[in-house]
Amino acid sequence: MKPGRGSLLLLSPAGAVFLGFFFLPMAGLFIESFRIYVPGSIGSKADAPFTLANYGELLTPSFAGFFFETLRISLLASLVGLLFAFPLAYWITRSLAARWQPIVIGLFVTLMFLSVLVRTYALELTFGAVGPLRPLLVEIGISPNSRGYIETLVIAGLLHYIVPMATLTLLGTIQNVDPRLFDAAQALGAPRWKAHLGVTLPLCMRGLLAAFLFAFTFSISAFVIPMILGKGRVLFISNLIYTRFSEIANYPSGAAISIVLFVVAIAIVYGMSHLVNKRWKT
Amino acid sequence: MLHLTRRQILERTAAIAGIAILGGTLGSARRAAAATEITAVEWGGGVVDAMKQIESKQEKVQVNWVLHQGGSGAILPKIKATWPNAEYDYVAGWEGSFTGMLKEDWLVPVTVDTVPNLADIPEKIIVKSAKGEWMAVPRAVGGIYFAYREDISPIKLKSIDDLFDPSLKGKICWPGPTQSMMLQIVALALHAGGDENNMDPGWALMKKLAETGNIGRIAVTDTDFTTSLTSGETALGFYSEPQLTSVAQSFPLVRLTKQEGLPTFLYQSGFAVFKNRPNLEATLQFINHCISPEMSTIYAEIAGEAPLNVKAKTPDALKHLAFTPEEFDKYVYVPDFNVVLTQQDAWTKRWENEIAPLL
Repeated sequence: MKPGRGSLLLLSPAGAVFLGFFFLPMAGLFIESFRIYVPGSIGSKADAPFTLANYGELLTPSFAGFFFETLRISLLASLVGLLFAFPLAYWITRSLAARWQPIVIGLFVTLMFLSVLVRTYALELTFGAVGPLRPLLVEIGISPNSRGYIETLVIAGLLHYIVPMATLTLLGTIQNVDPRLFDAAQALGAPRWKAHLGVTLPLCMRGLLAAFLFAFTFSISAFVIPMILGKGRVLFISNLIYTRFSEIANYPSGAAISIVLFVVAIAIVYGMSHLVNKRWKT
Repeated sequence: MLHLTRRQILERTAAIAGIAILGGTLGSARRAAAATEITAVEWGGGVVDAMKQIESKQEKVQVNWVLHQGGSGAILPKIKATWPNAEYDYVAGWEGSFTGMLKEDWLVPVTVDTVPNLADIPEKIIVKSAKGEWMAVPRAVGGIYFAYREDISPIKLKSIDDLFDPSLKGKICWPGPTQSMMLQIVALALHAGGDENNMDPGWALMKKLAETGNIGRIAVTDTDFTTSLTSGETALGFYSEPQLTSVAQSFPLVRLTKQEGLPTFLYQSGFAVFKNRPNLEATLQFINHCISPEMSTIYAEIAGEAPLNVKAKTPDALKHLAFTPEEFDKYVYVPDFNVVLTQQDAWTKRWENEIAPLL
């Protein structure tokens, strides 16, 4: 059904905002990524010639390493987040008494509004190298300065945001699953775990995908969390982009990294959506 | 006995409130009329504390303080984004950032006529344009050097080689690639026979240092360094004066400005005055006030950078920045800041490619 003239008219303000605040800046960024940068200057000159060098610089093992690290930690945080969020959402929807549900949901909504900076520093103070848990960590042989520990802390920082967000996303999904289907599976002899695997999870797959994509896109674009908890040793792509734009004023290189991150993220989102839609057709 | 009705109480309360509000408004208007407002970008911590005290000692200018976020270069893209509309009357910086601002032709030349106290500042330290015009007002000199907390450091640092000591596992706070203009790598290069024009020996040493596991934190902001050392997370590092002063205020810090084998770099901090602003005269007057002997002494005591005004008094706590000519030749290294500035992009990328994966 083609949208009518009236529909197009109603969509035009949103379209104008999207054009002005997303598409045009992204187009500017794309053009900037092809400009030559003269070291010592601030950004590229308006008439700077075009080059592929900014993208060529990214074809190195170290930059691949940065992308891989960002994607790896983000993927891990997103999956772990779902592991926590799904049982939480299930418990809220199916087990929690009706009078407690608004309170618990309200708690999760409140968590979403807490400043990321405050939460991140709370983690840094508690689990950092001089936090109250340090003696215990050292006692059990974990060095708070080790890379593995720092990565774990960054993941914990991401989970602080992912778990409430994913839980809230999954509430509606689980509510829409008819509980009688689960009862029917059990009535036919399936144990609880098999009933969940065979009935609940497949029916929630689209919601799980949505929650995963929210978590993943948040994680790969995280800036403050790796900057504070990463101790300058665990770096996300967003930190590199910040360095390019704000510290050394190499806008073209920053733009090139941003475009590559954008394309990779879009590819992952599209790929996963396609996979899930193909595998779990409704 | 006085009997007041509710109407009378309300009327009198409203009258008193009205007088109070009017008085306050008139008072603010009088203060506002007396003081011209300017907007200045300063460093945080002790530096802005010092500047606020200096501001309070005059009444002609009221300053709207904006703090630097990150390294000295972080403000430059923000200025360029709005240029020729300038948002700041002056930006505090040093040679590195002044060079960038000069290239963009953002600054107002200064003279002894417009800033009379410049007559008491050594001329050779003043940043000049290609035409020889004075383009920034120096206020103090600080150092970038190695230091360690005497109470928790496993060793007494005496040379670059000591950084590789196994007892320093996780104990070094090292500046990130955009901090200290990469002079930390220049320091390593000097130890290995290179300099800012030949940095390969420095990078080779940096790789070895990264592989030792002795670096506990890479400081990407000034606060990272101060927090890391004051909390005891790390025990030694290489950083600049105001942050080292913050640590030294609470802990016994050994400042290695006169240790052979560990180079000291000096920088001037000062004021860069911007074009296209409405209150240039007030800005220059305020800056002149800031570099007077009395205010320079106050600045030195609080911010921890030695005064450049020859009539100002250098506090005892900053004697580590006072050098005889022989000491200057022996311990201080003055790099070519043009090379340092133009190589920032290449050095940052080299850090990301060769060093970051090892940390």
